[in-house]
Amino acid sequence: MFKTPSHIMLVDDEKDFVEMLSLRLKEIDETVIPAYSGAECLEILDKQDIDVIILDVKMPGMDGIETLKEIKKQHPLVEVIMLTGHGTIEGAVEGMKLGAFDFLFKPAEFDALTEKLNQARQRKHDQLERIRKAEAAMLLRRAKI
Amino acid sequence: MVDEATENLIRVLLVDDEKDFRTVVAKRLGLRGVSIAEAAGGEEALRQLDASPVDLIVLDVKMPGMDGIETLGRIKERFPNSEVILLTGHANARDGVEGIKAGAFDYLSKPVEIEHLYRKLVQAHNKIRRSLDEKREAAFRERIKQQMVVAERLAALGTMATGVAHEINNPLAIVQESAGWMQQILAKPEFGDMPRKADFDKALERIHRAVQRARRITQQLLQVVQTQITEMPDPATLTEVDLHALVQECISLVEQQARLKQIDIVLESPDPPPIAWTDPYPLLQVLINLVTNAIQATDAGGRITLALRASVEQVQIAVQDTGCGIPQSDLSKIFEPFFTTKGVGQGTGMGLYVSWGIVTKLGGLITVESQVNRGTTFTITLPVKN
Repeated sequence: MFKTPSHIMLVDDEKDFVEMLSLRLKEIDETVIPAYSGAECLEILDKQDIDVIILDVKMPGMDGIETLKEIKKQHPLVEVIMLTGHGTIEGAVEGMKLGAFDFLFKPAEFDALTEKLNQARQRKHDQLERIRKAEAAMLLRRAKI
Repeated sequence: MVDEATENLIRVLLVDDEKDFRTVVAKRLGLRGVSIAEAAGGEEALRQLDASPVDLIVLDVKMPGMDGIETLGRIKERFPNSEVILLTGHANARDGVEGIKAGAFDYLSKPVEIEHLYRKLVQAHNKIRRSLDEKREAAFRERIKQQMVVAERLAALGTMATGVAHEINNPLAIVQESAGWMQQILAKPEFGDMPRKADFDKALERIHRAVQRARRITQQLLQVVQTQITEMPDPATLTEVDLHALVQECISLVEQQARLKQIDIVLESPDPPPIAWTDPYPLLQVLINLVTNAIQATDAGGRITLALRASVEQVQIAVQDTGCGIPQSDLSKIFEPFFTTKGVGQGTGMGLYVSWGIVTKLGGLITVESQVNRGTTFTITLPVKN
């Protein structure tokens, strides 16, 4: 698949995990921005364009679900993939109901992760495409009046 | 369960050296519904009791050969649950008192009034029944108590194991990503002719496999947790499940494995098939686990029987094998997490723990009976819809 330039944010309080997974993603030419808490994630989102967020459900302070709610409120077009432990699958289900794109069990197989990443990116891309078309149609109609 | 009518029947062994006396008493007690066996002396009485035990004995004290008191002693020694009523000579209360000291229920002096003897027999019979009931109740209580002890232990172990699993999952993810990163780098063209590349690849592959193994264990542990989060099963997942169909599905999944070892799998099911009110998929997982274990424990030519039973309140699925059995000392531990007798890498010791968790969550009970070299039976008891 042709890779459009995109920005991925990885949110997890486990620093070593964020670092290692970022290195792997960079190795396949992804741009990865790390964040170590829900609050940091939201701060970065205000300043920078992000396409897909990989978000851990279980974090101290603001947890994955709260963070997801805020993301969807402030940046509804950003796609979110939840990372969940087996004991917190309820969190994954709740996340999907709140608009997360999908979820993965942690530790996730790298291939499964990149596949979901590509799907999420594609969905965002399609969504933006539809918005552009709708805007074009709207402009066209206005021009006719 | 003991038949009520059988338990109500009073059966007596009448021991007296006078044949005429025995005949008269037997006839008259027979009219009152008492079943009588007769013996002419102490030795004969003991022989008869060995052959067909009776709990109530009417015993003449004055007999040639082994006398009543001695016979009483022997009976009480060998059959401590029996009750003995002594018949003493007229005005010979000493024998009676001595008899009661030796454990007789009571004594009557001859000539005997039949109505009186009958009343004494009923009293002794009731005493035996009462103590039987008490023993049964005590055994039942003991069993429940043991089950509760096991359940509590498993729950505590579960909490502990889950905590460990959670904590291990995060470092495991780091190990996986680190090793994965190295694999990615080594796969790049510029590393094509790196010295000893094959050794690196090999070692990284081993790390990858070990991580996956550890991950399977943590997954299984965390699956059981959900039992402790929600005590009762989610009613939405419960449906009426045809156990016959479910067991057949299980058999079709393990059949090939059994055929390879030349083991027969037999399904015994009443007609109509029992219906359980349960969640079919986890239950199928438990059945597959039990049958797979049974196949592993059974030698070629053996047999595994899946038997279904139903009553008004519950249904049972029994998985019975003719395998190597489980030693008594292991029986109380087999449901614990990480308990395994299989070799390293062959079993995680999680199967029965997970099964226990699932059955408990479904509101059921899983029990085991086993005899070394004879075989093992696991029984799952589930509630029916009410």
